[in-house]
Amino acid sequence: MNRRDFLKYASLTPLAGMIPSVLANNPHNAKILLLVELKGGNDGLNTLIPEHQQAYYDARPKLNLGLKNKNNKLRITKNLELEKGFYLNPYLKELKPVWDQGDMAWIQGVGYPDADRSHFYSIDVWNTADPLVRNTNGWLTKKGLLPSEANTLNGIVIGDDNMGPFAGKNGHAVAMQSPRTFLRQTKYLNRKRYKPQNDSLAHLLSTQNQINSAADLLQTKLHQAPRHSTRFPNSSFGRDLQQVSNLITSGVHLPVFKVTLAGFDTHAGQVDGHNNLLYHLGGGLRAFQKSMTAAGLWDNVLVMTYSEFGRRVAENSSMGTDHGSASAHFVLGGRVNKGIHGKEPSFENLDNGDLIPTVDFRQMYATIAQRWWRRPNPWAREGYKPLHFV
Amino acid sequence: MHRLNLSDTRHLVSRTALGQEWAGVKALEGKTRAEAVSILLHSGKVHTPGIPATAHWSKLDRMRSNNGYGKHNALMQMNRDNKSMKAWMVKHLLSTRTPVNERMTLFWSNHFTSSLDGVEHPRLIYKQNKFLRDNAMGSFAGMLKGIIKDPAMLVYLDANKNIKGKVNENFARELLELFTLGRGHVYKEADIRAAASAFTGWGADLHRGTFKFDASKHENKPVTFLGVRNITNGNQIVDVLLNHHRTAEFIAEKVWREFISDNYHDRRYTQRWAKVFRSSNYSIKVLMLEVLNSDAFWDARYRGNMIKSPIDLVIGTLRILPFAKLPYDDLAHTLELLGQDPLNPPTVKGWAGGKNWINTQTMLVRTSFLNKITRYSGSTNAHLSRRLPKTTGMNVVNWLSPVTPVLPLPTTPGKLRLVRALVLDPTYQLK
Repeated sequence: MNRRDFLKYASLTPLAGMIPSVLANNPHNAKILLLVELKGGNDGLNTLIPEHQQAYYDARPKLNLGLKNKNNKLRITKNLELEKGFYLNPYLKELKPVWDQGDMAWIQGVGYPDADRSHFYSIDVWNTADPLVRNTNGWLTKKGLLPSEANTLNGIVIGDDNMGPFAGKNGHAVAMQSPRTFLRQTKYLNRKRYKPQNDSLAHLLSTQNQINSAADLLQTKLHQAPRHSTRFPNSSFGRDLQQVSNLITSGVHLPVFKVTLAGFDTHAGQVDGHNNLLYHLGGGLRAFQKSMTAAGLWDNVLVMTYSEFGRRVAENSSMGTDHGSASAHFVLGGRVNKGIHGKEPSFENLDNGDLIPTVDFRQMYATIAQRWWRRPNPWAREGYKPLHFV
Repeated sequence: MHRLNLSDTRHLVSRTALGQEWAGVKALEGKTRAEAVSILLHSGKVHTPGIPATAHWSKLDRMRSNNGYGKHNALMQMNRDNKSMKAWMVKHLLSTRTPVNERMTLFWSNHFTSSLDGVEHPRLIYKQNKFLRDNAMGSFAGMLKGIIKDPAMLVYLDANKNIKGKVNENFARELLELFTLGRGHVYKEADIRAAASAFTGWGADLHRGTFKFDASKHENKPVTFLGVRNITNGNQIVDVLLNHHRTAEFIAEKVWREFISDNYHDRRYTQRWAKVFRSSNYSIKVLMLEVLNSDAFWDARYRGNMIKSPIDLVIGTLRILPFAKLPYDDLAHTLELLGQDPLNPPTVKGWAGGKNWINTQTMLVRTSFLNKITRYSGSTNAHLSRRLPKTTGMNVVNWLSPVTPVLPLPTTPGKLRLVRALVLDPTYQLK
């Protein structure tokens, strides 16, 4: 989507419909972001494995997945090496072909200074792009990033009800278990227009209109949805991704979709639980990639994982890891620049046992703003520059 | 002397209690403002029901310090305890006989914020909640002096980490920014550091669940705070704050946003209220008398201009209308989905409220909830109708709607049908 298209997109009047016609008619202009929240604090070190680091072995005598750990049947294998001593977790192997075809990039050391170790607080930091959480407005509502007209729809959150990145008056997103449930719920909502007597009522009216327009849109689009053949894993995460895929292939080309995979708070007995989660993550996203490729839309989507924090470098005494700081995240998509981006965090210089971030999470957002959506970077003044993963 | 009509008393009660119960609204009709406000604020005996069964903190702490599995079990136990606490709160909100005092308790809980999730000791939250309820209409000065020694608050704001040589400013910062002076140009970072130093060594004894002062962790060196020299401890900091004119103004402005309008405040009123508040030695009752008797409170332009909080909507509706109540757990969950998880505010600033209550998601939940409870079948119809006020349709409209309903009302007669239409009208979301 070039700048002119975006301006057209942004200047749509409410009556012209929810999806800018330019996007709906020319799917190849769409620039869709799929956010994947890994809830609970994903252990980056056992996701993108720093096999070359002896310190990794030392800190995790039991939990490491390194080649030299002969006791661990679940360890990595040679063919999972991505780059110079970095390996893919074996349970993410479904994504290896995506890496091989050049459509996956990793960003290491992502976090923020003086990380907060509370799940709730830290996810608010990510949602608001503000380590002080001065208000609850989501980062996607930053001025100029996405259209802000009353009746646009900027995103759909599937499954989990956390609309954090969209929170605030200009969020323009809807959350739903599934489009079908959403359509059932909206049945009860008033459809009649009325004249608001004060600004609170005006806000209620505009929210009502937004839901109803979203419902109309989904009703129409899903009605004419093409059948599609990609099989998704039969897990709730797989089904959520299938819903997103259905929406996109039906022509619902919104700027943002969001899904959540929960359970990453692996304080104890981490190995099986974490592997299982990564297995769902890899399998689901591989199906999503296939489906988007089949629809000719793989170049139009960017998938990004994020999580409130990483985990402590050293394992704890119950085969788990505690809340940490910096972590590795990945992006997928046809336009992604393959590679491992960002500087590897130091294992020698730790902050209370945690990795010190080398990439600020706002640089991820800045990249999406500037290099994916071609919008001004809202974090430029604070000094967060885009990376080159896309 | 102007006598209040039904619309007036509905406005007064719906802004200050938990739903506008018919009997209460009716009882104030025909009174003067001053009489009505005085009756309203004359609360009965305030009561906090006993705490539900929850794990003792010493047990939780032992589990947590154990190992990963212990932590996991502690977390599970806490989730169960949090659930019982929320259900307890819902039950109390539905049944309390002092709804005005309870509304004030909610106000103070959103001012002196702590959350179940942030404190991770449900019993400490209970203790704090009881403290705020007991003092909700008492002295703000007393409340402030109590809250700085409240174990839940000290845990919530990391006071235990504020020790000699390693100062943690969280508690001091919120004391100035959120509890007393408010953001602005009144204090500098140096004042926060000074306050933090004075509070070093203050913390909570988690085994006893009490305030604890550890002299060995106290800086014990004189600091200058807001221009006052030779301050060495937290009590003195609070005295300085209570002597500062901004504290009363900040509270008066917050009261305006809670009871008059959340858009902006009219300084002509808030300045006067602040003066009265301060000269009464921070009597909350005096402040509220001043607010509720003011022309601003009764001004037509501020009526029906606020969005009901989830508690107003859910608890208020179930308190005033005879519809079947859902189980307490379910109601607590509904409140969570609506963005007001009981006893668990999202940030230290509490719930932002106002228009923030409404987004696409919460609006659908609000609508489904009201639909669900007002749906009735033929057999319960007569039963419910009998329990509605015996009055005219016009009075029912005035009782339930803060402004003229925007959707057409039913033309077929039937009081229950009318009530359902009024509850489902968009204006029912207002107060």
